Amino acid sequence: MTTILTGGIGKTAVADAVRRLAPAGVEVVVSNDMDAVALLQAGRADYFLGTCQTGAGASLGVLVGLMGSATCHTFGRSVPSEDEIGALLDQGKRVFGFAVDQIDAIAPALVVAIASRD
Amino acid sequence: MSSTVLAVSTGLDFTFAQQLTVVVLCALTAFLAHLALAVFNDGVRPFMLDFVQGRTTRSATTAVSFGLSAGFIFGLGAPMALSSGVLNPWLLFLPTDILGLLAPKKWLAPLLGGAWGGVVVFGLNRANSLAHDLPVDFLTALQQMATPILFLFALFPVLAITKQFGRLLGGLAGVVELALVVLTMKVWPDVFAGAPAMAVGVLLLIGFAVARDVRQRRAAERAVVGAVPSAGGEASTATAGRPPGDADPMASLFGTSAARLRRHLPLFMVLGAGVCLLCQLHVFGGGEATSFLVAKGQYAEAAQVDFYRALGFIPLIATTALASGAYGIVGFTLVYPIGYLLPSPWLALVCGALVFAVEVLALSWIGKALGRLPSVRDASEHLRGAIGDTLHLAILFGSLMAAHAMGGGLGIFIAGGLYLLNEAMGRVVVRMAAAPAAVVVTGIVLNVLHWLHLFTPIKT
Repeated sequence: MTTILTGGIGKTAVADAVRRLAPAGVEVVVSNDMDAVALLQAGRADYFLGTCQTGAGASLGVLVGLMGSATCHTFGRSVPSEDEIGALLDQGKRVFGFAVDQIDAIAPALVVAIASRD
Repeated sequence: MSSTVLAVSTGLDFTFAQQLTVVVLCALTAFLAHLALAVFNDGVRPFMLDFVQGRTTRSATTAVSFGLSAGFIFGLGAPMALSSGVLNPWLLFLPTDILGLLAPKKWLAPLLGGAWGGVVVFGLNRANSLAHDLPVDFLTALQQMATPILFLFALFPVLAITKQFGRLLGGLAGVVELALVVLTMKVWPDVFAGAPAMAVGVLLLIGFAVARDVRQRRAAERAVVGAVPSAGGEASTATAGRPPGDADPMASLFGTSAARLRRHLPLFMVLGAGVCLLCQLHVFGGGEATSFLVAKGQYAEAAQVDFYRALGFIPLIATTALASGAYGIVGFTLVYPIGYLLPSPWLALVCGALVFAVEVLALSWIGKALGRLPSVRDASEHLRGAIGDTLHLAILFGSLMAAHAMGGGLGIFIAGGLYLLNEAMGRVVVRMAAAPAAVVVTGIVLNVLHWLHLFTPIKT
């Protein structure tokens, strides 16, 4: 079972987008940055999808500082290709931030890529 | 026209004291950004840790700051200032973030910041009168934004409650706010009708959040024997995993950051004094809806609106500051309402300095308190999300009204068309900024069409 946490201002919208896809073996929990740190570090969750107006720092909050930039990636307002997402997951990125007005474009792509890893 | 339409004639006529305050404050904010002690953009702040610790370069951080701020300067800050005649933090402090980070030398940062302050106070006035002299005056048209922004903004607590606590409580809050708006209009016609409604809405949200946290803590205490109960809110399932120990990396990072900020307390006190003074001079509106209230001289309402708004931002600003070691340029935004209400500039200087001192000293404690109140942190995220949602509709609708005021059906065709085109192209321009930007383009196009004798300006 892969657990995806969502956070930031669009966290319910992202969770809804994941549930609509309902990929097998993936569960989604609405969370926030501070709780996500504890859950990710304890191995009780696998990925974090954060959102804010700009798709950068505020989407990840304290995660950037505590998980380190090696596990964090922010798309900003750009929409990544399937290959880019695959490459980022290969690099071990687990914490992703994107803009709240790009949820429809980015969240499904990320979730499909994450689900296909298991 | 209703009383909510602005009575601003030209605006942006600053006295010497006001000009000096803006220039000096911009110099100071750029200096603090240069030292990575404070940035205004909440999205940039988390990246400041890598910069402080030397893992990224100044130019890379500047690029991040520019990329995250540009849309809000031109899409939110500039149109808002031009239409309301009142300055705002997006126009003043996002550019000083960028300029301060950009400056390679310490002494250059305040010079660049001060220069930007000068450009704003002198240049904006020029641009303003120039635009008013055009055959198709799009600045007067932009004042159409006031009513939708003021009234839809009042609904943000309802949206936040719905998202966090479901349809029933959300619907209930909506009915309560509607009743209060109607009541206020009837009984106190001079008060901005959205202010009491917003107050009650925010109090309801906080009440629900605190009640949920208390309930969950009791449930957790009762469940010491067995496994963690999986029922309850979604946030609770996540929070239950938090280890109780304090010696975690979060506490140590937070401690280091708080200590770094405390070391520069005098500088922050000067900053607080400056921001509070700017608010007291009544040429500056801190929140998205406040500029229009300040422009109309409704300072008590402006103070209320910004106070409730602060509740959505305090947790974000506190946690990002603790995680990065860089504070917010306007602190917890609490100096805004205090500044609007204070009777004298000298008092504003003193109070602003004291408020910032308390904020910086209490930062560590606030971080710990927020760690224990997950629902309150959730509420603040929902509040900020709801502010974005209400503003999106308000700015879109206000922009179309502005386009209509300028050019009737043709105006709506051009402005609405540009907005839809941006949507279809995958939102090249930030959603929030797209509509005002479309109005400005429409204004230019209509002026060109008028010059080609293809369009007759609509008489108002």
